[in-house]
Amino acid sequence: MADADNGDNSAACVESGEEEYRMETVPFDPRFPNMNQTKHCYVSFLDYHRCIKARGEDYAPCQYFQRVFRSLCPNAWVAKWEEQIEAGTFAGKI
Amino acid sequence: MIKSNHAFHLVDQSPWPLTGALGALMLTSGIVKWFHSFNMTLFISGLIILVLTSIQWWRDISRESTFQGLHTLVVAKGMRWGMILFITSEVLFFFSFFWAFFHSSLAPTMEIGLAWPPTGIQVFNPIQVPLLNTIILLASGVTVTWAHHGLMENKFSQTLQGLMSTVILGLYFTALQAMEYIEASFTIADSAYGATFFVATGFHGLHVIIGTTFLITCLLRHKSCHFSSTHHFGFEAAAWYWHFVDVVWLFLYMTIYWWGS
Repeated sequence: MADADNGDNSAACVESGEEEYRMETVPFDPRFPNMNQTKHCYVSFLDYHRCIKARGEDYAPCQYFQRVFRSLCPNAWVAKWEEQIEAGTFAGKI
Repeated sequence: MIKSNHAFHLVDQSPWPLTGALGALMLTSGIVKWFHSFNMTLFISGLIILVLTSIQWWRDISRESTFQGLHTLVVAKGMRWGMILFITSEVLFFFSFFWAFFHSSLAPTMEIGLAWPPTGIQVFNPIQVPLLNTIILLASGVTVTWAHHGLMENKFSQTLQGLMSTVILGLYFTALQAMEYIEASFTIADSAYGATFFVATGFHGLHVIIGTTFLITCLLRHKSCHFSSTHHFGFEAAAWYWHFVDVVWLFLYMTIYWWGS
């Protein structure tokens, strides 16, 4: 049973009788308003790596970007990019 | 001796359209054969036939005009329209390569790192040789205009000097651009950058060579006194073509070399 969510389309609370847990999805980003979310995925991937490069891997807010790209991006792309980063052939600026 | 009672030029029978068509067919199919079986024979044969056709066809036109006087005012007007339309078609040709460049560079893809120039491409510094090339072509525009005024004012030695200077500048541009091509750190195969750069500048360079050849032809004809101070359309056509080549370079410089760095 969904409750009043204050107009927030990216999350819903579910009461299943045991615990409440939030279901979330990637929120609307006006930088990428159209159906094609490729750049949204790629930019989030870049932002995550720039975030941990600047603030360290344990900096919690960086995890936001990770959740975004893990949700949006095809896993094959993420695997390929991580391989490229390892090999030093990744084209993006981190 | 009047050959007709109208001012138009109905040309005599000539083999050059046929040899030109055959040569063009051999050239184009020769390119395909070259790509598939790594054999350049058909291509080279086609090229030679086409070059020989061009020389002899245009030689015939010089003979019909300068020596037979068959190029009346209306004939020359028709040729003016022809040259204008041809140059317009060339403008559209280059437009397509500029479109391709902007398509790739305005919204760079992930594969090249969402950046232009793409990651890893070492672009030419626009204020080095490319700037020199710009100055060379602009100066050549001045010298060809100088030559034209010499022609119109009956100062034929100045025409000679102007044409010589223009040709020398054109050759200098070609030599410098060839050096750049050899020294470039990227090739035509290096991402959208290499492709757009070499196709656009490559076709421009080909047009510079064609324009320089046209100007050399005018130089030789002028030395043989083919041009009068009032009737010299061949020269004007060469000058128009040369200005067009210059303008294309200016666009190339501003977009690919300068903005694109």
